[in-house]
Amino acid sequence: MRRAAVAIVLCLFAAGCGGGSGSNTTGTSSEGTPKAGGTLTFALESELRTLDPVVSTQLVERTVFYQMYESLVTIDDKLNIKPGLATSWVPSSDGLTYTFTLRKGVKFHDGTDFDATAAKFNFDRIQKAASSPRKSELANLDTTEVKDPQTLVLHLKKPDSTLLAQLVDRAGMMLSPTAVQKAGANLGLNPVGAGSGPFTFVEWKRDDHLTLKKNISYWGKQAYLDGITYKPITNDDARATGLKTGDFDIIRVAAGKDIAGIKSDSTLTYKDTASLGFQGIELFHGSGTFSDKAKAQAVALAVDRSQVLKNIFFNVGVISHGPIPPGSWAYDPSEKIYDQVDAAKAKAAATGFSFTLKVANTPDNLQEGQLIKDQLAKAGITANIQSEEFGSILTDTEAGKFEAALVGWSGRIDPDGNMYSWFHTGGGNNQGLYSNSSVDKALEDARTTTDQAKRKQLYDQAQVMLVQDGAYVFINHPVAAQISRSTLHGYVLYPDTMPRFVTVWKS
Amino acid sequence: MAPVAFLVSVAVFLLIHLTPGDPAAIILGEEGSASTIAALHKELGLDQPLTTQYAIWIARVLHGDLGSSLRTHQPVTQAIGERLPATLELGLAALLWSLAVAIPLGTVAALRRGSLLDVLASGFTVAGVSVPNFFIGILLILLMGLALRLFPVGGFVPFTEDPFQNLRHLLLPALTLGTAGAAINMRFTRSSMIEVLGQDYIRTARAKGAPWLRVVRAHALKNALIPVVTVVGIQVGSIIEGALVTETVFSWPGVGKLAVDGIFGRDYPVIQGIVLIAALSYMVANLLVDLTYAYLDPRITYS
Repeated sequence: MRRAAVAIVLCLFAAGCGGGSGSNTTGTSSEGTPKAGGTLTFALESELRTLDPVVSTQLVERTVFYQMYESLVTIDDKLNIKPGLATSWVPSSDGLTYTFTLRKGVKFHDGTDFDATAAKFNFDRIQKAASSPRKSELANLDTTEVKDPQTLVLHLKKPDSTLLAQLVDRAGMMLSPTAVQKAGANLGLNPVGAGSGPFTFVEWKRDDHLTLKKNISYWGKQAYLDGITYKPITNDDARATGLKTGDFDIIRVAAGKDIAGIKSDSTLTYKDTASLGFQGIELFHGSGTFSDKAKAQAVALAVDRSQVLKNIFFNVGVISHGPIPPGSWAYDPSEKIYDQVDAAKAKAAATGFSFTLKVANTPDNLQEGQLIKDQLAKAGITANIQSEEFGSILTDTEAGKFEAALVGWSGRIDPDGNMYSWFHTGGGNNQGLYSNSSVDKALEDARTTTDQAKRKQLYDQAQVMLVQDGAYVFINHPVAAQISRSTLHGYVLYPDTMPRFVTVWKS
Repeated sequence: MAPVAFLVSVAVFLLIHLTPGDPAAIILGEEGSASTIAALHKELGLDQPLTTQYAIWIARVLHGDLGSSLRTHQPVTQAIGERLPATLELGLAALLWSLAVAIPLGTVAALRRGSLLDVLASGFTVAGVSVPNFFIGILLILLMGLALRLFPVGGFVPFTEDPFQNLRHLLLPALTLGTAGAAINMRFTRSSMIEVLGQDYIRTARAKGAPWLRVVRAHALKNALIPVVTVVGIQVGSIIEGALVTETVFSWPGVGKLAVDGIFGRDYPVIQGIVLIAALSYMVANLLVDLTYAYLDPRITYS
């Protein structure tokens, strides 16, 4: 299922983010005094599908949401949970209820007050939706209770230490009930007045442009920019060229081949930091070749990750040794299983077998597949590359019709989001049918424990086991990048790759 | 026309549904799980048998309703209607460019057979036909957009909003889209012109002492254009298909781009709607071609 989805994200990432080791962080100093005014033109690599967070499935959609919608809680650039539309929250001792105190004086763009009734409306909307990806994110939510206008209580079916992290994104985004009801079925295309964020929706002309303007009644610190224009520019060359000519102020991703040119151009700014995702090879363990653990381990031993990072991703990003991304509190840089490529050891584990590796038919993916094929050949393993259009790979992997596929994951704020669904027996993204009862136990315990140190220990245990098993061949973590004109300032890089333009200004 | 349209509707419906890839899985992407995909199938009506889905669709089509996009829920007629003006503008500009190049160049090449100009024109033809238009587009972006910074590299401004900016944005995609057509049309003009120039009535006209230019213009060119009109007619009918690649390269918000997104997303109603309309426009273009013959050649009459 979703792993195929990742392939798309992955293509985009692969195309765009390759290399450097998550280095730079935010620039707040040395950029001069912020100046108000000006409109930002932001080129995305694809058109959005919907502006309704309840049915949203695309990463590019979230780049708009984070400017006009707000969630109960938010994060800082170190992934710490911070107050958003809720100023504080208290979990009960049994972990079954969360009581949120909501921010006073917040109005939606249509003038509706934000209060506990409005918040309940949003949670109910997710629970009542015919189909919504948010439902599984809030699977543990039982009921929502309005205690008073400023107090909202979430009752859970069982303790869930990932709840707050889920609420940072679309599951926790608050829309004006009045605007939602007024827009009806048209909400996804024309969400007028629905948000409460620093920018308000103006218009969306599909395949052409989407415009937001500054919310002059914003409850928090106002944005510097007068507005933002989003443009879907699917062609990599056109996007990079438009950035150089100044047609665009910022682009979300650039092709790997263009990164060096962008870095060396003094009129442009390139910064990156490791994102939350991972990329590599998903293996099917249910039957066939990789039901033999030794073969999965042989592949993991034979892949030269640094060569892939250098030749395919132009050294943008970092080598991956497991599902926990470098920006996470659960990350342990000393855990480096399969750090060194070792063809001899791989041969000792298993050799002389062949398997089919599915890759998406984009240049970067095809090159990566070819390189991996060559690396595996040194250990006597034959990988037959099968390139398919992305939609087909998605369908095949979801149906379990694959031996191996080059697909990744865009990542989640809480480590659970990078592990449970992928590596727990029967997990939503575990299409490779990986199963290890010790891993399952650690992941389950980590979900119900609120002590972060204890959780880190459990995730460490799970990570060591699943990486050693060759559950998935981790290759690299992509980056969150700022690729903009150098006249753009105040941009803060978040590992979740989402821009927050409220702090951005143009000189 | 009706049987052809019916066959087209069946063919496009079957072909797109037989293509691997599940719209629900693609829509849900990372967020998909077996249960959410099943729920979305149900919501979109994809859990029905194929014959039922076809019957529902064709019944709607007969009432002028092409259905709604699986991805955005926007009515397909509305989605196409919003984008058609941009596609027609691009297609007509490309056609004008191709004719403005092809007819004079083809005529001169025929009149000066074997000359340097003829050789160059033939070279242009080979290049124009064999270089794919996405490549021409990228070359134009790099040269005119990045190196010379004369034109924007993509996007669209409506003519009603700013005519000048509209034309600036139009130029590169129109050149890209029209070049292959220009090459083909030039080749047809040239060979047809050579054939006509060898006819007896041209010799007669010249023997009468008619001025050479008048012979070329009134006697030769008009007759030589009949095969060209046929080709141009096909080109007009294929504006939508021709625009698929060009609109994607230049982010031109037309029907071609809608089709490409529809194909990658397996958005069945969108693809079916566009193919149906494209097929109908072919039929209309063919009809217009037939009518044009009668104008160009008075011997042809339709009773």
